[in-house]
Amino acid sequence: MWTGTRAIAEAVKLADVDVIAAYPIRPYTGVMNALATMIAKGEFSAEYLVCDSEHSQFEVVKHASAVGARTFVGSSGTGLVYGAEAAVVIALGQLPVVGIVGCRALDDPGNFGMEWNDALLFRDVGWIMSWAKDPQEALEMTLVAYRIAEDERVLLPNFVAVDGATITHVASPVTPSTKSQVEEFLPPYRPAHPLDPAHEAVSKAMHISPSLIGPEQRKALDAAMKRAKAKVIPEAWKSWVDVTGKETPAFVETKHAEDADYVMLTMGAYSKNVDYVVGKMRDRGVKIGSMRLRYFRPFPTEEVREALDGVKGVGIVDFSFSLGSPQNGSILYNEVKAALYDADERPQVMGFIFAGGREMKIADLSKAAELLVDSTRKGRVDHPVRWMMVRGEDA
Amino acid sequence: MTENTGIIKKLTEVPPEDYYVSGHRTCAGCGAALGYRLVLKAAGPKSVVIGPTGCMYVANGHQFLTSPYAVPWYHTQLGAGGPAGIGTAAAFRALMFKGKRRREDVNVVVYGGDGAMADIGFSGLSMALTYEYPHLLYLLYDNESYANTGIQASSSTPFGSSTTFTPPGKVKKIGNERQKKNMALLAASHPGIGYVATACTSYPVDLVNKVRKALSSDRPSFVQLLAPCPKGWAFPPEETVDMGRLAVNTGMWVLWEYEEGRFSLSVKPSRRGKVTDYVLKQGRFAHLRNNEDALGYMQQTVDEDWRHWEEMDKTGEMEIHWMPPYLKY
Repeated sequence: MWTGTRAIAEAVKLADVDVIAAYPIRPYTGVMNALATMIAKGEFSAEYLVCDSEHSQFEVVKHASAVGARTFVGSSGTGLVYGAEAAVVIALGQLPVVGIVGCRALDDPGNFGMEWNDALLFRDVGWIMSWAKDPQEALEMTLVAYRIAEDERVLLPNFVAVDGATITHVASPVTPSTKSQVEEFLPPYRPAHPLDPAHEAVSKAMHISPSLIGPEQRKALDAAMKRAKAKVIPEAWKSWVDVTGKETPAFVETKHAEDADYVMLTMGAYSKNVDYVVGKMRDRGVKIGSMRLRYFRPFPTEEVREALDGVKGVGIVDFSFSLGSPQNGSILYNEVKAALYDADERPQVMGFIFAGGREMKIADLSKAAELLVDSTRKGRVDHPVRWMMVRGEDA
Repeated sequence: MTENTGIIKKLTEVPPEDYYVSGHRTCAGCGAALGYRLVLKAAGPKSVVIGPTGCMYVANGHQFLTSPYAVPWYHTQLGAGGPAGIGTAAAFRALMFKGKRRREDVNVVVYGGDGAMADIGFSGLSMALTYEYPHLLYLLYDNESYANTGIQASSSTPFGSSTTFTPPGKVKKIGNERQKKNMALLAASHPGIGYVATACTSYPVDLVNKVRKALSSDRPSFVQLLAPCPKGWAFPPEETVDMGRLAVNTGMWVLWEYEEGRFSLSVKPSRRGKVTDYVLKQGRFAHLRNNEDALGYMQQTVDEDWRHWEEMDKTGEMEIHWMPPYLKY
């Protein structure tokens, strides 16, 4: 039985990471505690740097990665915001850093609850982002993240998002990958132009490196993200399946979706709650299914469209908010709607906001699913977006 | 290729090879560029250079895709000099320890300005100075302002300077009313630090030797290099070297080193010139020309400072310098 943070630490050890940068903030910190213990005991060897801030954390791994080291970093909530400047330039520098986000509410003081807005601040700047559903998947996604990030067709950093508390702190059965599986799956990181005097001198800055100049640089990242979507991520998970013998979809996971009229869509740990509620409604004969995105960047547009083909109503279980956005919706809600815009037949889409850090109850989720079914049957959605965890007219 | 890393005695012993070459667009008479050239001559070819944002980033890289660096160089964010240095050094140590790279000494030089190191990057620098990576030099080129953004005051700007954030006027007559932070003394307050020194671009032999001592120490080191800035200080570009000498000869800038726990002055002016000899040659202090109170305060603080420096040179022990603020003097 391992918590998510302990499971991720195992992945970092298995990947033989060279440089780790740590700074404490709940709820991700446990992974760094576990790694420090492993290194102290001699279970593996890495430079483990205790930093003075998240900004320094992300700068340490950025520069270590440029030299040619495999690196690991992580943060949560406002800590991640503190490191944002450095995180942005890691992506623009095309450095294959792997980090975890232990998702946490942006700080109204002392809010330790789960929310996705910390991770989603980085949705536009070139980080690949995956969302794990449990400690087992967190371990596997971290290992696979190195393979994807370091692929010469990609060279983009990768965040593995794990929901605070439900994954970071809740222990569940984990079967770690074996050393030989990882050796077969994950080749060593060998950058083409390391920042090392043993190689040809390179100068890396926005001003002077042809691959790092303004519009062309962004286009290069865009192309890398497209290659990750079309080729590298599917290949990596296929190879993972070959090595482990465990069937794993790359981008999306669905349940009861084939004949569904209604689908509840989410990411992360609470997908299990969604599956539970959907299962109960199926028992009652409601043609409802569920869908879970494993990746948010690149966004699985085609997979979402295909899986929702023929579905009449989609409910987004969203732990983010996006104040003042179209429909005053939330981030995942707006992204799914955008992905469905070009579909032949667009389903009704409802957004159920669970952001803010208050623990969701099964009753809240059941209510959301019933609202979806009722509104879709009526053929009219009066309130497409609702804040589910507050009292008042929205709910 | 000169591999000599020893101590030199005269200017002709400075290596002829350059690793900071043509391709930059620094101002005429730029002290920081002169310093870059000398520092990389001293560090040699087995070096990686990190440049936090500042003049020595913006003026050295250019949209025409030119670069003046003949050794690997990477930009880092304005406040990131400290972690960039240890991140680079940590990568080399990990790769060498694990047999992923040939073992050899690689110098890491972080060449950052006073804004980058005394202000926004202070916390990260301080953190880095508590680590134990060898061959790692944090060099603060001190042109005493945020010069590339148009001369704004930093906490390393001297008392009395006019900057675009501290302009003198009818109500605020002094310009910058804050006293210059003593970064080298702060660096020396890290008990495990390898080597600390101050230097000036007008003293190239001293600078080369200090860079070599720093890089051959077995811990991170810190050198604060006074780099006269014609644009920010408002003096003719051909006077850069003279201005640095005047700074030292008037006692406004003090050359010292701190090696294995012992302080010593590197240059002791036999008779210090008056601070006005230095100050009134620069446009940034022009508004003080007839302000006897302010000029008197500057002279008194330098005299007071020097009582400490001479005592420290005698005992070899560090002392903290305290000055009353101008308005209470």
